[in-house]
Amino acid sequence: MKKKYENNLDTEKSSNGVLSVKNLTKRFGTNVVLDNISLTIEDGKTTVIIGPSGCGKTVLVKHLIALLRPNSGEVYFKKHRIDNLSENELNNIRTHYGFLFQGGALFDSLNVTENIIFPIRQHCKITDWKEVEELVKSKLAMVGLDGFQQFYPSNLSGGQQKRVALARAIALNPEIILYDEPTTGLDPIRSDVINELVLKLQKELGVTSVVVTHDMNSAYKIADRIIMLHNGKIIADGNADHIRNHPHPVVQQFISGQVSEEDLAVLRMRGNISHTQFLPRDFE
Amino acid sequence: MIGIVGAKAISGVGNMGRFSRFIWQSMVASLRSCSKTHTYSLIWTQMYFIGVHSVPVVMITGAFVGMTLAVQTYGQLAGMGLEEYLGSLINIAVVKELGPVLTAVMLAGRIGGALTAELGTMNVTEQIDAIRSMGTDPVKYLVAPRILACLLLTPVLIIFADLLGILGGYLVSVVHLGINSRAYWLHSANAVEKWDVFIGIIKGLFFGVAIAVISCYKGFTCKEGAQGVGKACTEAFVASFISILALDFALVVIFKAIYDTFWPLRSMV
Repeated sequence: MKKKYENNLDTEKSSNGVLSVKNLTKRFGTNVVLDNISLTIEDGKTTVIIGPSGCGKTVLVKHLIALLRPNSGEVYFKKHRIDNLSENELNNIRTHYGFLFQGGALFDSLNVTENIIFPIRQHCKITDWKEVEELVKSKLAMVGLDGFQQFYPSNLSGGQQKRVALARAIALNPEIILYDEPTTGLDPIRSDVINELVLKLQKELGVTSVVVTHDMNSAYKIADRIIMLHNGKIIADGNADHIRNHPHPVVQQFISGQVSEEDLAVLRMRGNISHTQFLPRDFE
Repeated sequence: MIGIVGAKAISGVGNMGRFSRFIWQSMVASLRSCSKTHTYSLIWTQMYFIGVHSVPVVMITGAFVGMTLAVQTYGQLAGMGLEEYLGSLINIAVVKELGPVLTAVMLAGRIGGALTAELGTMNVTEQIDAIRSMGTDPVKYLVAPRILACLLLTPVLIIFADLLGILGGYLVSVVHLGINSRAYWLHSANAVEKWDVFIGIIKGLFFGVAIAVISCYKGFTCKEGAQGVGKACTEAFVASFISILALDFALVVIFKAIYDTFWPLRSMV
């Protein structure tokens, strides 16, 4: 099966790295979200993508697994171009990936066990259910949720749903894991557990991770490399120290989490906050 | 002005293209699902939700259709002294037209709305993207079982509606309006041919597929938010309803041509 898709792939050479994009541009209507971006994700490393909300981080990550197609540019997986493949051809390639969605994207009609074994059922013939149960147990233990096997997503908190989604993302032991804001909505301790898990997967299994986050503590802890996006372009690219000392004012403002002078000026303007008292309808 | 008309035309053609492509993908996936035994459990699950849960509403619909027809047409036929022919009129209307069409309309509301809302919610909560990201074709996993379940069960539900329509018409005609039972059945048997029952059921296959494909497409393409899902459900029902009526007309024309050509030859066979 592996051979089948490899034969169909365009084996055009790309730069080194397990994933790479070349001159990627993505527009939604007239809004240019990604503007001629080129980047290479190194094998076995953790790359963190940071940037203000709406700058195109999630859009970029979705291009890496070809969930979105670029308006122009190319996307490569292990030197094979994937942005021009059909969905059928991509299905085999996507088994090499795990994707943690921002909201978890758990199937609400399936319980936790069924969610985790979903990719296994789709791609493997299950002969020993005990083995599968053990696997589910071990994946849930990794995210601190062993014992929640029979729960449905609606009975879990947002943070628990995200952790189950992470357990599902690693069910097939993927080579690449894409995390879309993995620590958003989690308490600080659980966020750190996720950070440790990302590090553990990288160290023990050599997993390549791409993490989209706003959480700078998390970024500094797990990143081998940090990329910052702003207005659809990469404005900073380097390790944690490089980003900390980056001269670009937007980078400094983002990593220190400070409000801009323009935003403050708007807030300080007189009359922006209304003091009008609205009286109830039955007031006499 | 020209620009607006041009943009609308391009958008309309684009939508038609996407819908045609979706139909093609759904049909291919459905055919492939038939040959893969591990997909049967998905089809069974959908058959339970689509079929078993729809039986009561479909039977009630059929019964009221039969009863209403009896009351409405009795006056005209009695005025001409033809009240004993009431059975033929009711039964032929129920098995050929009203049973299949009203069952399909009821299913478009009950099943179509539910399918669009379910898939639309999955779409806006990225569950469909999650299926794709795990290397599974969402059309194969989500759409094909629903199409096959609708395809197989709409004719069965039409049979239920027909039976209750016939029973409802009979009860009102004989018990309430006092028509002779033997005459009622005799004229019914003379008027209704096997062909009439057959085309009513065959229509169900087309209606079932139309409801499932339209509803799934609207769910897959719905816009974000509660309003987006609600709008998709409304559009799915309206599109299914119009498709049922259009398909009904087309099938009546085709089946009439077939009937006129081949049915007289059956005595030779």
